[in-house]
Amino acid sequence: MKRLTIGILSALALVACSGSQEHSLELNSEADISGLRVALSAGSCYDMELSARSDVTVNRFNTDADVLQALLNEKVDVAVTDEVVYNSRVQKENGIKIALIGSQSFPTGFMFNKADAELAQTLTDIQHRMIEDGSMQRLKDFWLTNQFAQVDSYTHIPDEGKGAPLRVATVTMTAPLSFPIEGEWYGLEIDILRQLGRELNRPLEIKFFDSASGLLSIKSGLCDVLCGCIFITPERELEYVFSEPYHNYHPGYFVIDREAARDSQGLAAGFINSIRKNLVTENRWKYITGGLWETLKISFLAILLGSLLGIVLYLMTISRRKRMRSFAKVYNSFLAGIPELVLLLIMFYVVFAKTGLPSDLVATITFALFFASGACDIYKTSLDAIPAGQTEAGLALGFTRAQTFYHIVLPQAIRRGLPLYKGQCVSLLKGTSIVGYIAIQDLTRAGDIIRSRTFDALIPLLIVTLIYFLLVWLIGFLLLFVTPKTKVL
Amino acid sequence: MITVSHLSKTYRNPDGSTLKVLKDINCEIQPGEVISLIGPSGTGKSTLLRCLNLLDPPTGGSIVFDGENILKKGYPVHKMRQKMGMVFQSFNLFDHMTVLENVIYAPCIIRKEEVEKAREEGMALLRKVGLAEKADVYPDSLSGGQKQRVAIARCLAMKPEVILFDEPTSALDPTMVGEVLSVIRQLAKEGMTMLIVTHEMKFARDVSTRIFFMYDGYIHEDGTPQQIFEAPRRSATKAFVQRIRKEVFEVHDRDFDFLAMESTIKSFCIKYNIAHKIKPALQLCKLMIRNVMRDHFPMTVRITHSELSEVTALDFMVEGLETSPIQAENPFLDEVRSLCQEIVEEPTSRGFRVKLLL
Repeated sequence: MKRLTIGILSALALVACSGSQEHSLELNSEADISGLRVALSAGSCYDMELSARSDVTVNRFNTDADVLQALLNEKVDVAVTDEVVYNSRVQKENGIKIALIGSQSFPTGFMFNKADAELAQTLTDIQHRMIEDGSMQRLKDFWLTNQFAQVDSYTHIPDEGKGAPLRVATVTMTAPLSFPIEGEWYGLEIDILRQLGRELNRPLEIKFFDSASGLLSIKSGLCDVLCGCIFITPERELEYVFSEPYHNYHPGYFVIDREAARDSQGLAAGFINSIRKNLVTENRWKYITGGLWETLKISFLAILLGSLLGIVLYLMTISRRKRMRSFAKVYNSFLAGIPELVLLLIMFYVVFAKTGLPSDLVATITFALFFASGACDIYKTSLDAIPAGQTEAGLALGFTRAQTFYHIVLPQAIRRGLPLYKGQCVSLLKGTSIVGYIAIQDLTRAGDIIRSRTFDALIPLLIVTLIYFLLVWLIGFLLLFVTPKTKVL
Repeated sequence: MITVSHLSKTYRNPDGSTLKVLKDINCEIQPGEVISLIGPSGTGKSTLLRCLNLLDPPTGGSIVFDGENILKKGYPVHKMRQKMGMVFQSFNLFDHMTVLENVIYAPCIIRKEEVEKAREEGMALLRKVGLAEKADVYPDSLSGGQKQRVAIARCLAMKPEVILFDEPTSALDPTMVGEVLSVIRQLAKEGMTMLIVTHEMKFARDVSTRIFFMYDGYIHEDGTPQQIFEAPRRSATKAFVQRIRKEVFEVHDRDFDFLAMESTIKSFCIKYNIAHKIKPALQLCKLMIRNVMRDHFPMTVRITHSELSEVTALDFMVEGLETSPIQAENPFLDEVRSLCQEIVEEPTSRGFRVKLLL
């Protein structure tokens, strides 16, 4: 235990002491990044632009937050992302600075499915009106300057729509365009969309996706509109429709600010401050508890449903009908050969895309399907392990077939199968950490959300790890109660 | 008590072929009888036992137990099995229960006996098989002999009318066979009706009231131990009880593979511990096939050895022949006589046989 504590403390110390080198990197033009390591968001416009250059090493990440994190950890020299995303507050708090604002500019707007051209037009009309009455300028003045960084709480027009919810997908959780605080969403783009919601009398239902999934959610009709600094490019215009661009953004080239006076807190004070920042501020711990609830809900229901499906599947494997046996065989080999994430995405974006089934239900079903296959194998292995002689002895004593199974075979099979079953439950629980891909805020995603707000990797990941560890331990503990005991004496 | 008529059992192999294990079994078992089923392996002894309590359902015939045809559709088989206990070669104790639980589980669940009462009776049974002190341990820690005695106590706990023993000592160390047999002996004394499949000939002879000699899917011979062991009527029975081993060669003409025969006879003699008979046996074969009986191809040559009487014999059988193939003036006859103890010339239903006793 002592050794472990020392280990953790020295790791913390390393994190705290890193990055105390001479001078900040200086960039005068895009040409200066030649030979440097660059972090950017996968599939973004910067990706297309910089990938064409053979003189830079490009590291692609899923979210803006990860891009910045890579810079902070000095895995890269430069982080390229939307200039607007890292406002002065973020820069100051994290010791980064903008070294160069790119010369290019990208028209930015809201993305819709081609079938929703009318909706896009409505939003364009609203934007026109907002420009005319000056409210667009006021919003930009507030969000795109440092104004918003000076205030601690934000307001927005209330969500009073009574109609079907307007399903909004966003691909950024970073201020100032769209970001969550205590479960509510704020930001420039969110405010514009709230005007649309008010016009249509529809409440907003906002979900976070990573960039690739966000586009897919519009394409498949899971969401109505996509925001989060979406650049309007000719390629995208072939596949989607956009509202009129409301602003042009430049790429920002961020580097570590070595001159900035770092708060030199003690290790303990720094740690406490970090805890406060990640958990207490804006009640961020609620993301953790909410995520924990989602993870538990999905895991528990998937295990329950999967165990039952597994029984059905097992009965099929021992069925007399060849068709049943072949179905079970094909099912098992199919599920064994497909990654969980891929099936999850298929289920969400293809199979159940049009049904409007809640995403946590889709995740539950997907994991139940996987669990069924594993459970079926476990039932088979543990029942096959009980020698036929046990059944014969039971029958010969005068038990019926059902009694023999229930009193003699099952208790022994459960004892054999339980460790395997526990392993299966644990791997399911851990496997659910991918449900963030279909916009479920589970425990892992809760950590991501906090990370993208605080740009601190250590504490959120540490807490999430700890909770998973406790859950795994809890599963083992709960399964102890299932272990059968002979009831006679 | 049990009447079996025209019982047959055919196994269907996965490749579609069939194997007829029991062909036509007829027998009548009275209360108090102790019947041992003996016979070579693969002749259906265990299958017959497993057919009686329907663990392997018969494919034909009928079994009447306590006046009821148990092969009738819808007959409550488990009720019948409560009255017909079975002890297995591999014990099949319930590993997840203690010894006492093994014994009283069935009475408690099936007969809904009170636990206290069942426990007292269970302890009494364990005392009877000498294992009361092991009541609370798990079967894992018992020796094979102890396990089998617990299995017998477990069987007795259901108060069966008849017990089927399926090779109860075959899986045991020789040192442990005795303790199990003495428990069975005790049951026989108390008048329990039992059917025992066994390879322990001495035990079968001592304890049984009747012996079924099973051969080729039939009850080949049925009689008292004296009849079966001392005066078997049929040759297969005789061969079995005298433990006669044999090796057969078909000799078609002069070009017979003599070397192969030599090596087979050598290993036969070594296997049955009569290596000193190798030399005369080989010489006799050579003399008989090449000289004495050279005009009588094809013939069947057989070497037999009884482990019980330790008699070894060489048979030379010529089919369809009615008179002895040996002429008195044959010049090699003296040499043959000097090598064996006795020459027996006998006509049989198949032909003429010359038997040389070594």
